[in-house]
Amino acid sequence: MIKAQSIAVKIGGKPILHGVNFQAKAGEVTVVVGPNGSGKTTLLRAITDEVAWNGHIQINDRDIHDYKSWELAAVRGVLPQTATLAFPFTVIEVVRMGLLSGIHSTTDTLAEQALARVGLAGYALRFFQELSGGEQQRAHLARVLCQVWEPVVDGVPRWLLLDEPVASLDIGHQLLIMDCLQNFAARGGGVIAVMHDLNLTAMIADAVTIISGGQAIASGAVEDVFTDQSLSTAYHCQLRSNTLPPKHSAFILPQTASLA
Amino acid sequence: MRFWTSALRYTKTDMLAADNISGGARIVDRRQWARKVHILSAIFLALTAVISLASGPTGTSLWSALIKIVTEEPLSTLELIVLRDIRLPRLILGIMVGAALAVSGVVMQGLFRNPLADPGLVGVGAGAGLGAIFAIVLGGLVPLWIGNLIGNALIPIAAFCGGWLSTIILYRVSTRRGRTSVATMLLAGIALGALAGAVSGILVYMADDQQLRDLTFWGLGSLAGATWSKVMIAGPLIALAIIGSLFLRRGLNGLALGEATASHLGIPVQRLKSGSILIVAAATGAAVAVSGGIGFIGIVVPHLLRLATGPDHETLLVNAALLGATLLLGADIISRMIIAPAELPIGIVTAVLGAPVFLWILLRRRGLVDM
Ligand SMILES: Nc1ncnc2c1ncn2[C@@H]1O[C@H](COP(=O)(O)OP(=O)(O)O)[C@@H](O)[C@H]1O
Ligand SMILES: [Mg+2]
Repeated sequence: MIKAQSIAVKIGGKPILHGVNFQAKAGEVTVVVGPNGSGKTTLLRAITDEVAWNGHIQINDRDIHDYKSWELAAVRGVLPQTATLAFPFTVIEVVRMGLLSGIHSTTDTLAEQALARVGLAGYALRFFQELSGGEQQRAHLARVLCQVWEPVVDGVPRWLLLDEPVASLDIGHQLLIMDCLQNFAARGGGVIAVMHDLNLTAMIADAVTIISGGQAIASGAVEDVFTDQSLSTAYHCQLRSNTLPPKHSAFILPQTASLA
Repeated sequence: MRFWTSALRYTKTDMLAADNISGGARIVDRRQWARKVHILSAIFLALTAVISLASGPTGTSLWSALIKIVTEEPLSTLELIVLRDIRLPRLILGIMVGAALAVSGVVMQGLFRNPLADPGLVGVGAGAGLGAIFAIVLGGLVPLWIGNLIGNALIPIAAFCGGWLSTIILYRVSTRRGRTSVATMLLAGIALGALAGAVSGILVYMADDQQLRDLTFWGLGSLAGATWSKVMIAGPLIALAIIGSLFLRRGLNGLALGEATASHLGIPVQRLKSGSILIVAAATGAAVAVSGGIGFIGIVVPHLLRLATGPDHETLLVNAALLGATLLLGADIISRMIIAPAELPIGIVTAVLGAPVFLWILLRRRGLVDM
């Protein structure tokens, strides 16, 4: 369980988050949605201790301040919204950086397996900087997967904290990554992902939180949270939530003035 | 021969890796290749060291001296002085200084996440030089008990402090939230260098005749003044810096992904940064104190190695130490041969060899990266 209580963040004196309560359970995919600039990235960066924050954050029932940095690296991998790379490393070298904390018993083929998992088998020896944006994003995801390869270690769940993991991926690879995340959760790990695609979210999320204006305005199961009202309020536009018959999965349709 | 063919094969595989993606081919590890380069560089260094010992204007022959040692015949006084007191300390000092310059280049480039960050170019060398000049001119003002305590080490320690201060200033000025602006870094380096130059000028005004001679000699940037006492003074500082850098090798790899990601990977980023700054200062300070300002080793060696074996610090640091030492010994041999029996300052040789390479790096990067 990751639990964040009354998280307040100020950047340069400007309040960004106003007492957000957020939680995610191991074994589930928890998705954070919300409009641009609402504070999703900031919430994630509070949980990863990158920004100064007030409140309480616990990972696996232990206060985040009680962890040493290598202990944190052992329980959670983080994919930032944008990542840079200095120097011409190859893809496999970048993925192996996920193993830097040195908490793995068998590391021989882990990086190769992680690459295959994100659909980059065969890219190992290419130069990272020469990959396309979407390929770079998947390579970074492979690095994060490598870091927490086993979803549960000694009965303790590990976590993937991902900021817009599929933002620049085509639909096929979006589904591949979603499958990857669901698989990680199904085996007992925890996933927190910031996403923009509401339909993809409705399809894979076990729990969803809407952040708007620095506040969590709704959280819970998809069918409870994705109501016409909460979505339209959050995104400042007309949205209608419907369900598709076969498996009753929700889908969201935009309602523009001209179509109405 | 086998080394070369395998070298070619490896680089080719690296470059052609893109075409090789579907074959499920065995993954060729650049790290294995870089480990072979360890051996290759060590052999090169040993060969260069022998040539360095054997060459010099007096015509003293290393071979005849070796034969005498093997046959247990006593060496002549001249042979003893030339080999033991002149060429050997010069050889060892050259190895130390070359390794120190190359390693401090690698560490500084890793810290700034930029292949153009070289202690000599961005004012750290100038800061260390200023420290050394302070020590030469104002050394008499140091309280006697401190003087007794540190003895000959005053100049290297002062150079270390100067290099340390300028690295910290440079890092503070040019790095915001873990991102270094190349333009700011180079400009700040120019400013630091100019400031150090101005203060040095004032100090030179205050110097007496003996101190002026010391300063001129030191400022030429040369291994000609090598003595065993210089080796003993700079040796420990340089050895500590190089050994220390090996502890940072994984951290520097992670830092290539940026500070935030490095800390997510479990790397203690603050410790890594202050450790890197100390190492750069120690290696540059010690090198500058005993040999003056020798440029371009710190930028050329790491750059060539990154092209040949990749940017992985696991192997880059050791290879840089070996190749830096080799290159500096080579430059020293050239500086002794080219206008023999006189000597060219070694800084001129490294600049003539290094400046074009630096320009070439700039050309390759132009347009790829916004400054
Ligand atoms: N480093 C920063 N300095 C100033 N403002 C920031 C900074 N980071 C984020 N903000 C502001 O905080 C708000 C939330 O940002 P963010 O959490 O990145 O939004 P998003 O939900 O799109 O991820 C935005 O208004 C942004 O301008
Ligand atoms: Mg964001």
